Amino acid sequence: MEDFLELTVSAMASGCIYGLMALAYLIVLRPTSIINFAVGEWAATGAFVGVGMLSTLAWPHLEGPYILAVVAVIVVLGLLGWAVERLTVRPLVRRGAAVTSPILALLGVLVIFRESLTLIYGADPLPSPPPFGFKRIEIGIFAGASQQFFIIAVTLSLFVLVWLFFERTVWGRAFEAVALNRRAAALMGINLGRVTALAFAGGASVAGLAGLLMSPMTSAHYMMGLPLAIQGFTALVIGGVGRVEGALLGGLILAFVEQLGARYLPIPSGLTLAFPFALLILFLLLRPTGLLAPREAR
Amino acid sequence: MARTRFASALTLATGLLACTAAAYAQDVIKIGVVTDKVGSGKFYAEPVTRGIELGAKMINEKGGVLGKKIQLIIEDDQNKPDVSAAKARKLVDDGVLVIMSNTGSPATQQAQTVSLETKTPHLTPANSADTLTTQLNNPWFFQTGPLASIQLATLMTYTKARGFKKVAIVRDNSALSQSFAESFRKGLDGVGIETAVEEVIPQGATSAVANLQKVRAAKVDAILQAGILGPEMLQFFRAYQQLGMKEPILGSYNLSIPAYLTMAKDLMEGVVFVDAYDETKPEAKAFRDIYFKEYKEEPSSLPAYGWDGIHLVAQAIEKAGSLDKEKIRAALASTTGFVGAIGAKGSSWGFRNGGRSGFDPQGAVVRIIKNNQHGPVVHSGQK
Repeated sequence: MEDFLELTVSAMASGCIYGLMALAYLIVLRPTSIINFAVGEWAATGAFVGVGMLSTLAWPHLEGPYILAVVAVIVVLGLLGWAVERLTVRPLVRRGAAVTSPILALLGVLVIFRESLTLIYGADPLPSPPPFGFKRIEIGIFAGASQQFFIIAVTLSLFVLVWLFFERTVWGRAFEAVALNRRAAALMGINLGRVTALAFAGGASVAGLAGLLMSPMTSAHYMMGLPLAIQGFTALVIGGVGRVEGALLGGLILAFVEQLGARYLPIPSGLTLAFPFALLILFLLLRPTGLLAPREAR
Repeated sequence: MARTRFASALTLATGLLACTAAAYAQDVIKIGVVTDKVGSGKFYAEPVTRGIELGAKMINEKGGVLGKKIQLIIEDDQNKPDVSAAKARKLVDDGVLVIMSNTGSPATQQAQTVSLETKTPHLTPANSADTLTTQLNNPWFFQTGPLASIQLATLMTYTKARGFKKVAIVRDNSALSQSFAESFRKGLDGVGIETAVEEVIPQGATSAVANLQKVRAAKVDAILQAGILGPEMLQFFRAYQQLGMKEPILGSYNLSIPAYLTMAKDLMEGVVFVDAYDETKPEAKAFRDIYFKEYKEEPSSLPAYGWDGIHLVAQAIEKAGSLDKEKIRAALASTTGFVGAIGAKGSSWGFRNGGRSGFDPQGAVVRIIKNNQHGPVVHSGQK
């Protein structure tokens, strides 16, 4: 039982990271119909920006205020996401390019981000300090590392905020309107360009935050993006592309399957690598809309 | 007429230039180095390369080899086997006499296809996979890194007194880590120690808690850490600490890579690992002083591999007495009793009985990590 409770905290923390990655996909995908595989590199960039902020000249021993790193990641990644939309996606859409063109262009962006990270920060993994240390703490019957509890708390708070944004604000409604019918939304006076730019900025900020939260567990390294992109995409497919809460649900399911499978299934642990892909195929075949279907127009 | 004169002058100038270039080419001895500047092996390949550069500089300051200066031509293979072979080919085309490979064993394995085909002496000073000299019958290839089997045997000798009966192996899913684990498994079988569980932390995993719970449930006497990839091994140490585990951790020479001490700061206290470097050995002390003077920092064992490697190559060329590749190969193959900065006190490199793996079976040492530093040698050799 002790194992199960420890594993629950570990899987919830991993699931929250996957959920954030799925949310980064969803924020871009809903209003634009563009699957942006560069979210993984945005996460890696977020980790490096955060670590960079914590280890600037003023704080050579990684003791900078953590909140500054969080703000820096949200702002810098937001600007990068906005710039990517302006420089790659918008020109293609304006020229009437095929729907797959922005997706391919964003794959190019992925490579540019990754190689830029190695040029700026080098190939060595960088240590990333957890804000509350990494000691084991016990809350009731659950036990885990303080960073895992921190990831869970931040992720749940962020999901509530994003849910409120989509459900309770005019801008959120504008996103939803564009997602439901782009042309009708434009006819009603919604600025499609602004919504798209905001979607890229928001998606990049969320992915960057996921990378920053993840980095104390794995260090900040330039190869961290691709696995996160795969896990986030799988979580998105499981939860469904239509609902914010679906992203979190998909992330949690994926992480629990991965970690409970690794612990209790009588298979070599190397095979757990196949779990995300197996789930991806399963859901695409049996329930392509994901577990949570999109809401109907209200 | 004027045009003819101009053509003659041009021909003469070109001829002179070619002669000068040829003369210059004869004045230097080109040694090719395959390193990893951006890939997953950078953090161990680059320090080894630095040792080669320092060694070449010192050799040149003392007059070079056969009266000629060593010129290093360094290529980046990103630790990718296919790229490694292409870069080795490029080095041969550039006219190198010897290739030195510093990246991962799988990349070096692939680069061997080029040294075999082009009959170019090829040395890896730090690679440890046992299979490098057994999978391919390549008489041009030599290895001086501590074989994984020697590392394990040294560890087992050290731990014999502790009476370990069953252990766990934890690794990542890289080819090199797999190769290490396999050597460890065979070695453990050989001495009658049971491998109760072998756990793989795959690249990109976000937690190693499940893996280490299985290790904990197996109630092993010790954990053999055969991982290579930094982020995945960081997860291992994080989960070990999180689960409050106390089983002793025994690691390969990969844990001598200084980057781990920074990445997993405060997580590796008491970890036992194999190394091939004893700071109190006179040759290691001499190397340390030169390195410190040059770079103003303490060296780890990694640059010492490169330092010894380039000195071994220089010695072989000197012994061959010519720039003929076959003579250099023969000189390398006849090496015995080479004492460098690497290796336990009293050990030496040598290719005995026609073998091409030159690390002394008594050359590995055991060290313990203390206060985020590689501690002193606590055991040496297999006796």
